[in-house]
Amino acid sequence: MSTSPRSRTGSGALVAVVIAVVVIAAVVAVLAAAGITPQRLWDSFFPVGGAAPATDRAHATRSLYDIVFAIGALVFVLVEGLIVITVLRYRRKPGQDGLPPQIHGNNLVEIIWTAIPTAIVLFLFVMSWQTLNKVEAKAPEAVHVRAVASRFQWQFDYLDAQGNLTFSQNLPIGDGGGLVLPVGEPVLVSLRSMDVNHAFYVPKFLFKRDAIPGRENSFEFTVDEPGTYRGQCAELCGAFHGSMVFEVHALPVADFNTWYTAQVAKAQATPTPPPSGAAAGPTLELSALNVAFSTAALQAPANSAFSVHFKNNDASVPHNFEIKDSTGASVFKGDIVTGPTETTYGVKALPAGAYTFNCTVHPNMTGTLTVQ
Amino acid sequence: MATTTLNPAAPAYRSGLYEWLTTTDHKKIGIMYLINSIVFFIAGGILALVVRLELAQPGLQIVSEAFYNQAFTMHASFMLFLFVIPILAGFGNYVVPLHLGAPDMAFPRINALSFWLLPLGGALMASGFLATGGAAASGWTEYPPLSGSKFSGAGTDLWIMGLTLIGTSSILGAINFLVTIFKMRAPGMTLFRMPILVWTVLVTSVLILMATPVLTSALIMLFIDRNYGGHFFDPANGGNAVLYQNVFWFYSHPAVYIMILPAMGIISEILPVFSRKPLFGYKAFVFATVAIGALGFSVWAHHMFTTGAVFLPFFSLMTFLIAVPTGVKMFNWIATLWRGQLTFKTPLLYATGFLTMFLIGGINGAFSAAVPVDFAIHDTYWVVAHIHYVLFGSSVFAVFGGIYYWFPKMTGRMLSETLGKIQFVIMFIGFNLTFFPMHQLGLMGMPRRIADYAASAGWSELNLVATIGGFVIAASMLPFLWNVLVSLRSGEIAGDDPWEGNTLEWATSSPPPPYNFDSLPEIRSERPVFDARHGQPVGHASQTGH
Repeated sequence: MSTSPRSRTGSGALVAVVIAVVVIAAVVAVLAAAGITPQRLWDSFFPVGGAAPATDRAHATRSLYDIVFAIGALVFVLVEGLIVITVLRYRRKPGQDGLPPQIHGNNLVEIIWTAIPTAIVLFLFVMSWQTLNKVEAKAPEAVHVRAVASRFQWQFDYLDAQGNLTFSQNLPIGDGGGLVLPVGEPVLVSLRSMDVNHAFYVPKFLFKRDAIPGRENSFEFTVDEPGTYRGQCAELCGAFHGSMVFEVHALPVADFNTWYTAQVAKAQATPTPPPSGAAAGPTLELSALNVAFSTAALQAPANSAFSVHFKNNDASVPHNFEIKDSTGASVFKGDIVTGPTETTYGVKALPAGAYTFNCTVHPNMTGTLTVQ
Repeated sequence: MATTTLNPAAPAYRSGLYEWLTTTDHKKIGIMYLINSIVFFIAGGILALVVRLELAQPGLQIVSEAFYNQAFTMHASFMLFLFVIPILAGFGNYVVPLHLGAPDMAFPRINALSFWLLPLGGALMASGFLATGGAAASGWTEYPPLSGSKFSGAGTDLWIMGLTLIGTSSILGAINFLVTIFKMRAPGMTLFRMPILVWTVLVTSVLILMATPVLTSALIMLFIDRNYGGHFFDPANGGNAVLYQNVFWFYSHPAVYIMILPAMGIISEILPVFSRKPLFGYKAFVFATVAIGALGFSVWAHHMFTTGAVFLPFFSLMTFLIAVPTGVKMFNWIATLWRGQLTFKTPLLYATGFLTMFLIGGINGAFSAAVPVDFAIHDTYWVVAHIHYVLFGSSVFAVFGGIYYWFPKMTGRMLSETLGKIQFVIMFIGFNLTFFPMHQLGLMGMPRRIADYAASAGWSELNLVATIGGFVIAASMLPFLWNVLVSLRSGEIAGDDPWEGNTLEWATSSPPPPYNFDSLPEIRSERPVFDARHGQPVGHASQTGH
């Protein structure tokens, strides 16, 4: 226990103000030095750094966020201000030996500070219910996609009006992959999980929905602007949960229709027969199970073509076999096959050296290929 | 003040290990609860530092993805089940019989059993790190199918067994508290003269008694699914994966109140003493506590808004409404300070820190009650910020306030005020540095429970700030541990009543003798020791509402 008398109490409020000013000035200086402007700081308190939401539903959610934020900020300033004033003003001063007034309560103020928060939360509830009805509204969709989640990738099945599969996008990201959607047309996404719980989350859509085995969730939205939107699994699904990413490519309607027609044509074309035995040389055996290769090291002869007999044992999970050289450049990329199935890839002759192999869909599935 | 030298029992605290291992004294058991909890707090804190180090910059630097998942799973499991809940039970154990003027808990041996189940359960849970495949790694929520036998190893079984024991410990403790509170009160200690801490322990015990068996049933169903071919949660065989979430959160949302109500009780003890005023609106406070307990059972599905499997408006409304009794408490606390004579000893510093951080933790929770906003921020770092403002910024700050407040009673010696204030300042800064930026990370779309993120995501700066903050928090533990070690040996002698307290623990020696009291003051209000010091209770008639 401190035994010194509180002789400094009189200047305490001043000291507190000085400390507060110094701390605030220091914080502002540090932020400015780090290139963080007040505008950027302010924007960081809004979804996706204040960027415009990307769908019709997201605008409604953003408006609701702004209301909650405004009320929350106001409540914080008022109540925190009250705390600070109380703490500064009512510190015990020297010579205060008598007791302060022993006030046990006051029913009127209890009623007031019960009624005001009740009114505020009921207002917020009504606002959020109205917004919820907008977000959950249904309309006849122009495109129906089923996002199929499995550890640790997304596949996008495009369905026709009867709900039958037209074609699948196996690659979740990059050119030629991702969830391709038209701008300005209502889209219906239904979710299916092949194994554990996942969640479809696109930050700029201000929306996520869980993909749960045994249950098909769906939701609708219309994308505002062309562009690429980053998406990611948001429900823990295992070790590589963090790499379960995807992209939404929103295209103008005309571009989308061109792309869609080409995909349908590709899916309907007779698949080319696998080049069985076409490639001379030895055959390497490789299989995939539980999103892992059967081996982490393969050997192949230098300067001679060889084949890879690849068995994909993961039901409903797409895999392939890709070879990258030491610079990371892709030197062979096999077609993606969805298990359970098997195929044989013919690989042209490679110069001697150390290569890595991987699954294009699952960058975490890797191994080394020694060519000698 | 009475001197402790007259007390024949004081030397019992210097007796050997055997005495501690076999004791049924609620005070020793309470202290063992505190020590055990602090050990798991440090273990959980180290795991949190592993998580923060890994997230400090993009790329995987120090652990594998698999270990990362074990780290955050066991961090949360330790902190929730082996730190926050038991340390509050520990304060309850130590303080409630003293507050009631009782010689001990109603069932001292069951009390010892409910303590000893904790280190056992904790060791069982932690032993998962030695199992093949490592410790449980599906998050502290352990949702199936991920926590099923197909995707998770033996660590999950150990986690289930450990948590079942810990739950049993809670249930036994709750029964003990209820019987003690209803049957062991001293003459004159009516229900509406009980300290608020006792009220919060009472409501918490009811919550535990109603909710924890439900958690245990969820865990047993999961165990059967994993080991004996049950299909409770397996949709391929007629089960339902969402069922687990319903049952789990039916416990785990009330559990949030189990983790915060006694902390509110501690704050409600500290504020009146250091403002030299009675708690403003004692009865309103009691009713608000009961209301929070009751509403706490009707909001569980707000953790499941994005499952598409719950009736959204009902749970949204209930979640908003629970802000009302919480707000009432906040205003009553501020009114207690208002026009008081505040002495800024360390316990009051922690209590005012609690008020600020609990305010933030309440406001950022309201965002999640607005369902469409929850669709955006659910399972992002926003939620991590929210839970830490409630459970760390509020519960843990209250815990430290409580340690500084009752350490003199427990040991007879004061903790150093200087070191206590240093710790508070470091911890307050570190806490806000760690957890405030998580709001912004969540808004920017960073999901929780990811081991890595792309440099291009724009999350690197704030993650680095949060990691630095995490180490500042760790640094704040050093003055605390030093303070405890030094003060145990050479701290200032406390005397019976160093703070001019209000409640009965200050009417006995420090530390109290076995069975607590040689004599009791008259109990005519909720502040019997204050009344004994200052004469007739002031305004007592209006308070008790005769």
